[in-house]
Amino acid sequence: MTKAPRTGRLIWSRMIWRYWLKEAKLTAMLVGILALGIAVFLSVRLANKAAVTGFGLFTESIVGQSDFVLRSPAGKLDERMLGELRKASGRTPLGIFPVLEVSGAVEGDSKGALLRLVGVDLVALQNAAQYLEGESANTGGNGIDGESTNQLLGSSKAVFVGEGFVENRNVSAGDTIQVIVDDQIRKLVIEAVLPDSPNVASVPPNLILMDLPGLQALSKDQNKISRIELRIPPGASAETNRETSFAVLTDFAAEKDLILETPEDQKSSVTQMSAAFRLNLTILSGLALLVGVYLITQAMEASVVKRRAEIAVMRSLGVTPSEIKRAWILEALVLGFAGSVLGIIVGRLLAMGMVGAIAGTVNTLYYETTTTAITLGMGEILFCLVFGTGASVLAGWIPARDAAATPPAQAMRHGTRSGGLKLLRFWPLGIVLFLTGVGAAFLPPWETASGSVIAIGGYFSSVLLVLSSSVLIGLLFGPVSRSLGRIGKSSAAFRYAASQLRKPGGRHRLTAAGLAAAIGMSAAMAILVASFETTLTSWIQQLLKADLYVSAPGMSSVTNENTISKSTWQGIEAMPGVAGMDRLRIHRISMEGTRAFLGGSDYNQNSKRYLQLIWLDEPEDTSPQALLTKVDGVPSAWVSGPFNRVFGLGKGDVFEVPTPQGPQKVRCEGVYAEYGSETGTVMVSRSFTSEWFADDRLSRMSVYVDDGVDPAVVLSNLQNHFPTLVARTNLRIREESLRIFHQTFAVTYALEAIAVLIAVAGLGLALAGLLLERRRELVTLKSLGATRREIATASMWEGVGLSLVGLSGGLLLSFALGWVLIHVINPQSFGWTLTYQIPWGAFAFLTAVTILCAAVVAWSVGYRNAEVRSDRAAG
Amino acid sequence: MNVLQVSRLTKSYGPTPVLQGVSLSLAPGERAALMGPSGSGKSTLLNCVGGIDRPDGGEIEIEGEKLSQFDEEGLCRLRREKVSTVFQFFHLLPTLTASENIEFPLQLTGMAENERLERVAELVEEVGLGHRADALPDELSGGEMQRVAIARALSIRPRLILADEPTGNLDSTTGDAILDLLKRVSESHEIAMLIVTHSPVVTRICDQTFEMSDGVIASS
Repeated sequence: MTKAPRTGRLIWSRMIWRYWLKEAKLTAMLVGILALGIAVFLSVRLANKAAVTGFGLFTESIVGQSDFVLRSPAGKLDERMLGELRKASGRTPLGIFPVLEVSGAVEGDSKGALLRLVGVDLVALQNAAQYLEGESANTGGNGIDGESTNQLLGSSKAVFVGEGFVENRNVSAGDTIQVIVDDQIRKLVIEAVLPDSPNVASVPPNLILMDLPGLQALSKDQNKISRIELRIPPGASAETNRETSFAVLTDFAAEKDLILETPEDQKSSVTQMSAAFRLNLTILSGLALLVGVYLITQAMEASVVKRRAEIAVMRSLGVTPSEIKRAWILEALVLGFAGSVLGIIVGRLLAMGMVGAIAGTVNTLYYETTTTAITLGMGEILFCLVFGTGASVLAGWIPARDAAATPPAQAMRHGTRSGGLKLLRFWPLGIVLFLTGVGAAFLPPWETASGSVIAIGGYFSSVLLVLSSSVLIGLLFGPVSRSLGRIGKSSAAFRYAASQLRKPGGRHRLTAAGLAAAIGMSAAMAILVASFETTLTSWIQQLLKADLYVSAPGMSSVTNENTISKSTWQGIEAMPGVAGMDRLRIHRISMEGTRAFLGGSDYNQNSKRYLQLIWLDEPEDTSPQALLTKVDGVPSAWVSGPFNRVFGLGKGDVFEVPTPQGPQKVRCEGVYAEYGSETGTVMVSRSFTSEWFADDRLSRMSVYVDDGVDPAVVLSNLQNHFPTLVARTNLRIREESLRIFHQTFAVTYALEAIAVLIAVAGLGLALAGLLLERRRELVTLKSLGATRREIATASMWEGVGLSLVGLSGGLLLSFALGWVLIHVINPQSFGWTLTYQIPWGAFAFLTAVTILCAAVVAWSVGYRNAEVRSDRAAG
Repeated sequence: MNVLQVSRLTKSYGPTPVLQGVSLSLAPGERAALMGPSGSGKSTLLNCVGGIDRPDGGEIEIEGEKLSQFDEEGLCRLRREKVSTVFQFFHLLPTLTASENIEFPLQLTGMAENERLERVAELVEEVGLGHRADALPDELSGGEMQRVAIARALSIRPRLILADEPTGNLDSTTGDAILDLLKRVSESHEIAMLIVTHSPVVTRICDQTFEMSDGVIASS
């Protein structure tokens, strides 16, 4: 009964452990590949988390976490509502903290980074110790003395900033900073620096804290607040008080048409918006891991083939097949565990580099966020350990089974060539997988309980297509081998290399399958990016007809609320050389708990040129006057593609939009394409929004110059007169748009490169295994007079042949995967309709790089293995 | 001039001496059997003569050229032009057909395709494999594989063929046929042969026999 564990230990210590020590480089490479897969996966996950959890921390770092938040679905609240709220809450113990948030930008900041000016009622905070008990709120007595706080009271100049702010901008307490709010420069004095405290969220580096009345005066938001934060005093009766307060607040919110939510609701509803984007990144990183799993299978399988003779000896000595299988699975488990641990460490480091890029994309496309410190939780560690080890065991399972099933006689035979997954030889399976994959693409998307749409059919289809390519790739060996054979008829090295691919072994198939998967996924992403770029470029070309574009600073962030005052935009309009302009005012609203934009636009009517939208569902009238009409008293509206997807509202639908004047009915007359933001927009005439919001400011404007006038002259004139505004020429804004576009895909490019890198590493590993297995052939080649270089050259051509098979299969796969990405996953996840575009240039580059890498790796492996000791290899 | 001249050859693997002053010579067309128990140094001697292994001391001359003066490239050239090897386990390249295996050494020399194909056709007929020319090694019998190996060895028209147990993996009838073939090609092309064997039967085609023991030639 004790035989099995003893035998297991014996196999482990004598065969596996010693083999690892002997083949230390190979073992390190194996662990490294798995670690890289895990690291990529984990880093994307951590960076995603850090990038989105930065949302909404502005007041959390000052007053701590609120219990409830009251806000208006149509922008700002009237401050007088506070009195009504106090009255409604009666004797219920409830801390009421009004907050005003305003956008700003540091004057002279070339990057136009957005600042967040937050005004809180400092008097209320100082008197609210009972609500802050147990937490170390920054202004509640943690390092900032009362005198400093008093300096802020009512001041529209004195501010507090965090440590991040002073570090990033090289300023200190007492310094004056110039900040642009709307289109005005304001001089602010840093009264004190808010220290980071270990018990509360750190102060975001773009936060400027002021007293509420001071900020209201500064931003001309008299009697306006952004939201009301509410706190229940801690203590024994907190839970009862919370229930009572919730009932009171629910009634109050319903009566005043406000939104009542917890900060967690708020955070989750906002971060939900970027769920699809983050899921896409996670899946991409998972694909890198999938390629890693291919390689682990390959390497484990190679180790079985290499030790086949040893296995045979063990079998002949009475070791049972199950003992051998257990030993190999244990090997996979230990390698997987080691790779996972290393991957967690590397992933943590990689995430630090990645978080900035992801946060940048989230800022541009979804909502404002600041990057927070990367936190590696126990959950993530456990997940990676289980996932990495599990993947390794799964990869090692089939080789382990093969090891156990090998009859001793077969294993001892000279010249046995086998290995690889037998399943890969069964091409009808590939056809079945392919057809099922195509069918899966037509499955409807899955809507989660939180309302998020996941293109489940598309993802399932992608996995099946990748698997089908792994099987069908075997069919490409024949043509590639024949072509190579024909090309290099007179070269011995060529002939030998081509002959190796003529009847590919399992190892060849597995290598090509891994390469095809990596190339296929990378090339498909390249198709997506190219299609996106083509569509975006054509959209920009049609959209950007004006000569100059003017906005308040910080406009590249989706949540920028900086505006251009009426006097300013009228001043621009009156400038010499200006023929006319399109004017746009954007208001942030909430519909059905989801954030959206309400746009008010005036299109240029002074010349033939005006904003031309691309229509997904064209209205009957697209002229500048179209939005001015009312049918049955209901204003006409156009909605963006993302709005149409998120709210399911399209042409002919009448719906209500929230405004400070109460809900207003609008009728959708058409749906236009929008690729700049994923937040849906309803566009009406600015004459209506000005009335509903009592606001005649602009968010941005497009300027048309008179015929024959140089736009650069008008631009220069405009910049001289209005230095706080950001003005760009048509060409500049196109460049800027493409820059933001490439920033959005920065992480994707990195993931693609890693996948190809792993695949080429796998190719080297596979060739090393193949050459070790063919050691006697190498001796034969030497006995026939082949030099070491010629053997290396033959190995190089074999590697090139293999990479050609993998490339051909991968590129074919990418056409199918690209189709699924563009026509299934993208419309379902983002609502973006793209034109399918194959980037032939990028494909040529990918092909050249892959073949070159494969040639170099294969030549090196061949050269190294061509040195065979005759007394060891022959016979 | 002798095709092969081996003088006082020595070779050790670590502390173990394998060859201890071996000397022998072969004239053109002469065939010699090299016999002896396992571990006596026969295969090592063959590897040294073929330039696959380097001796520690002594000298090997092929048609007057000293092997010690050759670098790796030179030894490769020697094997391409003058010395061929026939192995016990045939050592055919498994992914090449019979005719491609025969053609392979000629490709290494850079011979023109027409000439190559002509010579392969001649050799295939000479070893009696005309009907099996397109078969892969694993489709051939042991005897057929050894015929391919001999044809491959002959393809470069060597001055010396080294044969390591050429009949060791064959039944007696096939083995006899292979020996006849070796004798015939040796005579017709004036090729010297050094044949390592355990089998006394092989000596019937040889002009002389060397007995090796503990790294020295005990008798001839």
